[in-house]
Amino acid sequence: MTDDSGISKELIAQLIAGQIDDDNATRLQRLPRKDKDRFFKYIEVLQQRAPWPEQILLRLGDKLFVVRNARNERVVKCECGKEFGDYRQNWKLACRIRTRRTLPEMLEVYDPAPACPEPGWQEIREFFCPDCATQHAVEVVAPGYPVVFEMLPDLDKFYRDYLDRPLPDEAPTWYADHTEVVTRTWASLVH
Amino acid sequence: MAVANDLGMVPAPAQTTPTGPTLRALFAERDRLTRDTGHYCGVTELTLRDADPIKYERFYNKLHAAVLAARESARFVAASPGSREMGECLWGITTPEGDTLAVSLGFLSHTAIFPVAVRYMANNDYDVNDGIEDGDVYAVSDGKTGGVPHPGDFYSFVPICVEGEIAGWAVGINHLMENGAPVAGSWATFSVDTFMDGLVCPPMRTGRKLKQESWWKAIWERRTRASTMNILDDKMRLAGCAMIHHATHRLIDEFGLQYYKRAIREVIEESRRMIVDNMRALMVPGLYNGCAFRLVKYAGLQNVWSHANKNTLIHIRASVEPNENGLLLDTEGSSRWGYHSYNATPGGVDCAVFLGMINSFAHNTKVTAGIELAVQRHYAYGSIYNPDYEFTSNANLWAQTVSVNSIGFNAVSRAAFARGYLEEAFTVDGNWGAFQGAGTTADGSSYGFTNFEWLGGTGRGAWCYKDGEPLVWAAWSQIATIGDAEEFESCVPPLFYLGRKLLPGYFGYGKYRGGPGNSAVHWCVQPGKHIALTRPNGGLSCTASVGLGMSGAYPGPGSFMISARGTNLPELIAEGETPRDARELLEQIDAGRLTVKNLEIWKTDCPELALKDHDLFVDAAGSSGGWGDPLDRDPALVIKDLNDGMAPRYAFVSRMHGVVAAQDASGVWQLDTAATTAKRAELKRQRLAESIPAEAWWQAERTKVVNKDMVPEVHEMYAQSLSFAKFDGEFRRFWQVPADFAFARE
Repeated sequence: MTDDSGISKELIAQLIAGQIDDDNATRLQRLPRKDKDRFFKYIEVLQQRAPWPEQILLRLGDKLFVVRNARNERVVKCECGKEFGDYRQNWKLACRIRTRRTLPEMLEVYDPAPACPEPGWQEIREFFCPDCATQHAVEVVAPGYPVVFEMLPDLDKFYRDYLDRPLPDEAPTWYADHTEVVTRTWASLVH
Repeated sequence: MAVANDLGMVPAPAQTTPTGPTLRALFAERDRLTRDTGHYCGVTELTLRDADPIKYERFYNKLHAAVLAARESARFVAASPGSREMGECLWGITTPEGDTLAVSLGFLSHTAIFPVAVRYMANNDYDVNDGIEDGDVYAVSDGKTGGVPHPGDFYSFVPICVEGEIAGWAVGINHLMENGAPVAGSWATFSVDTFMDGLVCPPMRTGRKLKQESWWKAIWERRTRASTMNILDDKMRLAGCAMIHHATHRLIDEFGLQYYKRAIREVIEESRRMIVDNMRALMVPGLYNGCAFRLVKYAGLQNVWSHANKNTLIHIRASVEPNENGLLLDTEGSSRWGYHSYNATPGGVDCAVFLGMINSFAHNTKVTAGIELAVQRHYAYGSIYNPDYEFTSNANLWAQTVSVNSIGFNAVSRAAFARGYLEEAFTVDGNWGAFQGAGTTADGSSYGFTNFEWLGGTGRGAWCYKDGEPLVWAAWSQIATIGDAEEFESCVPPLFYLGRKLLPGYFGYGKYRGGPGNSAVHWCVQPGKHIALTRPNGGLSCTASVGLGMSGAYPGPGSFMISARGTNLPELIAEGETPRDARELLEQIDAGRLTVKNLEIWKTDCPELALKDHDLFVDAAGSSGGWGDPLDRDPALVIKDLNDGMAPRYAFVSRMHGVVAAQDASGVWQLDTAATTAKRAELKRQRLAESIPAEAWWQAERTKVVNKDMVPEVHEMYAQSLSFAKFDGEFRRFWQVPADFAFARE
């Protein structure tokens, strides 16, 4: 930690790597107001760690980002480089999915046995990157449940109103859920 | 009643019937000004604060000190362990309309109900028809009229009247040990409607001049099973209210009524602004979605009330969307209300929602009703959170509303993670447990009880940078403590602890694991004429705590319990080795050492379980979820868990984390680094081999959906949730079902 007004990138890197010590983590938690410039330092650190050059716009998961790609599109991208498509479409629909439906299958991930969800009432869905097989998400839901779009960010509002740095391609039409574009395409193949 | 304390004796209040504006008029003005200006009560400028900030803060600190002192003194009047030793109580001071100005330590989100109860009194002209006088005492435990989450939470309201006006209310709350329902305890798990919820009080005057009426004691004695504790708790609440009442009168004497009346509005507006500012500082705008499920297994257990004799899979759905005035939490798409004990009222679910919101956004400001203005809520009419039936049971709403809090709180975690405030990002669970019941000793003495222990402290979910911790988490209170075993043993004469400990391996797995849950073994000894218990739970293990894991981790498992009736325990005692937790119990049974005539494992609510000599009741609760892909876990942490006993099954964690290890001659686990690297690569290949592309998955699942290939309870769940337009639209857009597709409702 540098001083009261600034948090160093080294400390942010320690947080990301899970190497921060408890004293520093506690000090960060006890800041009366969060350091406003954290986001851009965070992005800088993440950008340095990323094995690709695309600009990170937001971090969605440990290894999942919204980036601006070479075609100037805002897409979800895995740390391994795999692109999952337009960030307004639920990225889970670009994953491979393993579903655990039976008790033996569930017992591989819940312990002890009485702690296991009940087959029939629930199923466990694991969402993998098709390239590197990272497990990006887990859902424990009722069978037939629509895949949950966990977080659709309003990037333009965030960068303009929260960070005071508008995105160059901002437009009022960006913030919308486009997941149906995917499911409608798939449905057209059914019919 | 006169209360001796460090403030001196509280004088009996004068009989002063208010002659100022009616409560109804006060509410109308408050609502109009707030609506028209967007600022609480039209306070656009903090004039008192800006003119003399020292005086303003001194004023507030005296209010705050009054409620803090009330808790720290009054809880030692009480007998019940839940209030004295744990976080299950709270005191507050409010505006005339019930808007919170300050609260003590304790279960802070209960401030949400204060204005609900006062508004009911206003709308029903309590002050006009009956008169509300300084030092009156009102009892409140009804969800519909008082906003109370469940009647096990009991409230005392004391009006503070000055110069003919209601200046505010002192409020005290605690969780009763027993509230007189057909199902003994404080969460009547098998209630069908409010008439089975026990002692349910709409706002009603039970005392005057800071003293309860004589008949009120008889109510506790005749309508509850733990009257001694309940009467003492009642005195506790009132003693605290009397202290606040006295302190507020002195405060008004010192600062003047006009200053007081302006300052209380500024205090709330100031905190509202701070909360909105905090939301902007911590959140990323957008839409956050979450879900959870809670099973109600009544089929076969409600034969007397046939309309309730069915299973229900409760769907808990919520979204969070920040906006200019704070954020909107919307539960549309959640299940409809039902003939079970798990319904909420808007005030009740507010109590859950505000847990995370206060913790996240009011940490650096005054905890007031400002949170209620900054967090807009939409509870669809007819849903489990806003029933269109006035007599729903609310006896055990926390068993599912806690998931609403978890969903909202996890949205804050996701936002903090995205913004880089990783020190604030962790997995939120609310997997509490408890047990309750009643008994009669050999000499004919009857008693009712609740054991709150696994409500007092649970595992905290994993952080995005380290493992979660055991026992430190209680989203409903700042004071995480499981209480003293001896206290609970004293409340339930025949039950003794054979074990009380963390349950190894009982958490959601991930790169970082959740804090482990807890387990206890209760041993029944000489139960006298009768003892029987049930167990409410904040989620049972047939469903996970929440529906979504964080960043590739598994959600925390729910709670469960085991009844082992007809045992050979005396033989084990003679051998000196008895089970200390659920896992050890099952292992000893599997090994043939512990024999059980009637072994039942409960992943759903158990019906009343009667216990005899040497029967065992074993529970497990308080687990929490992980964070991140389990294959990214530092192998050294896996080895540490193996050596610490936190990972009791090597084969399980080896497969979960892709770690290969072996025990050396001393029994210490040692990592095989090369084999670990190879195993992780193999497990990743396996993931790809055992999974299918989302499109193929969608096509296959859609066929099942269209054919309604699901158990009846899931079918009924969709029928209920699709009766609300928001989820109906999402479901149809996702599965692209024909326009005439529908789930028939029962």
